[in-house]
Amino acid sequence: MRRSLPARFGLALLQMAVAAFVLIPFFWMLSVSLKPTTEPFAIPARLWPEAPTLANYVTAFRPEFRDYFLNSVVVSLSTVAITVTLGLLAAYAFSRARLLVITGLMSLVVLAQMFPHSAIIIPIYKMMRAADLLNTYTSLIVAYVSVTLPVAIWMLHGFLAKLPVSLEEAANIDGAGPIRVFWEIVVPLARPGIIATAVYVLIVTWQEFLFALSFTSSKAMRTLPVGLNDFIGQYGIRYGELMASSVMVSVPVVAVFFLLQRYFVAGLTAGAVKG
Amino acid sequence: MASVALRGLGKRFGTFTALESVDLSIPDGEFLVLLGPSGCGKTTVMRMIAGLEEPSCGDILIDGQRVNDLAARDRDLAMVFQNYALYPHMTVGQNIGYPLKIKRIKGEERQRRVQEAADKVELGHLLARKPAELSGGQRQRVALARALIRTPRLFLMDEPLSNLDAKLRTVMRAQLKHLQRELATTTIYVTHDQVEAMTLADRIVILNDARIQQIGTPAEIYARPANVFIAGFIGSPPMNLIEGRIENGRFVHAAGAVGVTAADRARAVLGLRPEDIALADPADADLVGEVYASELIGDHTLLSIRIGQTLVAVKVAPDGGLPIGTKAGLKASTGKLHVFDGESGERPPVRQ
Repeated sequence: MRRSLPARFGLALLQMAVAAFVLIPFFWMLSVSLKPTTEPFAIPARLWPEAPTLANYVTAFRPEFRDYFLNSVVVSLSTVAITVTLGLLAAYAFSRARLLVITGLMSLVVLAQMFPHSAIIIPIYKMMRAADLLNTYTSLIVAYVSVTLPVAIWMLHGFLAKLPVSLEEAANIDGAGPIRVFWEIVVPLARPGIIATAVYVLIVTWQEFLFALSFTSSKAMRTLPVGLNDFIGQYGIRYGELMASSVMVSVPVVAVFFLLQRYFVAGLTAGAVKG
Repeated sequence: MASVALRGLGKRFGTFTALESVDLSIPDGEFLVLLGPSGCGKTTVMRMIAGLEEPSCGDILIDGQRVNDLAARDRDLAMVFQNYALYPHMTVGQNIGYPLKIKRIKGEERQRRVQEAADKVELGHLLARKPAELSGGQRQRVALARALIRTPRLFLMDEPLSNLDAKLRTVMRAQLKHLQRELATTTIYVTHDQVEAMTLADRIVILNDARIQQIGTPAEIYARPANVFIAGFIGSPPMNLIEGRIENGRFVHAAGAVGVTAADRARAVLGLRPEDIALADPADADLVGEVYASELIGDHTLLSIRIGQTLVAVKVAPDGGLPIGTKAGLKASTGKLHVFDGESGERPPVRQ
């Protein structure tokens, strides 16, 4: 059905309004990051700096930032690799299992993702301390894997359940063993789902703050979101540098998301509509 | 090349019985068709032979060797699926060559055999395409080429033609039959289409309600259907079935009577093929009714004649059509009458 012209116009206007509403904080972040220290609280407030400067970026790109960046990369990529691998194996088992007991476990997986992070952070902290893992990459990676895995299984399950079983049966009859079927048939066909899941996990871990703050004590182990905290001091907040850092933190994920967003959208709606 | 034997093979899904105990032996090189309506268990039989489904009871023997515990990939058979099951991420050539890749047959030999198999089904020029870029008939032939590339012991085909349009189906049917003769590989073919079964099979196994109803050559089954289900399933149009009773060697119906060689029974079903009935003067006809419809098919005209509550199909010459409502007498060709028991639907054993 084609909508009438005024209806389409109204809809476009509404969409623009929503987009503007969502994007204003990002715009403000960018704007403040370019303002010299005198400007962020100038009255009247200015949307765009009078004298844009990159000075904030120069200060923000300090040696610590590079350490934090490296930590974030290590923790995020490790989490992505582990979560996606485990999630893929688990989701495959769930999607192909014929036993009621196993399919029932799937609802437990869903249940696992219903606990808010703040509710499980203290027990996990105690476990990490008991295991002597605090202030290590391992503590963060383990925590992130446990938090992202349920959603990853859920997303991948949607993809794998849609793959026709007869393809695997055909490969079986062609002589392929289970591992071969998995690598040569299932994984290539599930690639869009794997990419979507990886992007999701990356975004979640890259921006995670609470676990990172609680589990890391030394500066050398901090990740980017915790690192932003450095600019919030007891007597004031250095907004210019803070926002410049925020922009630099955001750029990699935004770039990844833009490159892969078509997979991501497909991943969220997989299995939602009958194809 | 192999012979297959099924001994007491059965399958239950929970409380549902998909297949009761089936005994069957298939000699080497035979084209066997499993025929039946949907849900009769024919696909289950095939999937158990393939190793995709575990039998609940009974044994499967290939060349005398029990294969129940052998994985599908070790049974050395090829299968064509109803939806073709082509690997969408591989080209036509990679699809056809996949069984050889698994067998670690490399480079030039693989190339040569892929080309050979593709040429056999006239796909030689499409090897670089992806399945999504092919028409239904072409996909079907890719599936076929993938099955015949490694000369398996056994071909299994699960309704391979059902997704094609009518014209293409006729062409592919002839091609299949030709290929099977040429390769002389034992073939088990599942279909619900009785024309496919009649034209392709060396022997047909008719299944219904999870049981074998009859096993025989197409000619045998056509000439002597074992029960009313088969009589009403085979032939186009199928056999006419008229309910009545048998008294003193005559089948009696409100619309008339006809002499039969069967014992008296209170309820009986008379079976008459449309081509075994001739029109006759109502005065000395066996049964009398009136014309319900008259359809010119081309090489013959099909008359539907109402006898009591039943419509009886009669094949007559192309110019033998009659106006609707005409009174018509029917005479059955002697020796072409089929009598079934009215209660069980079975053909009674021949009297000695």
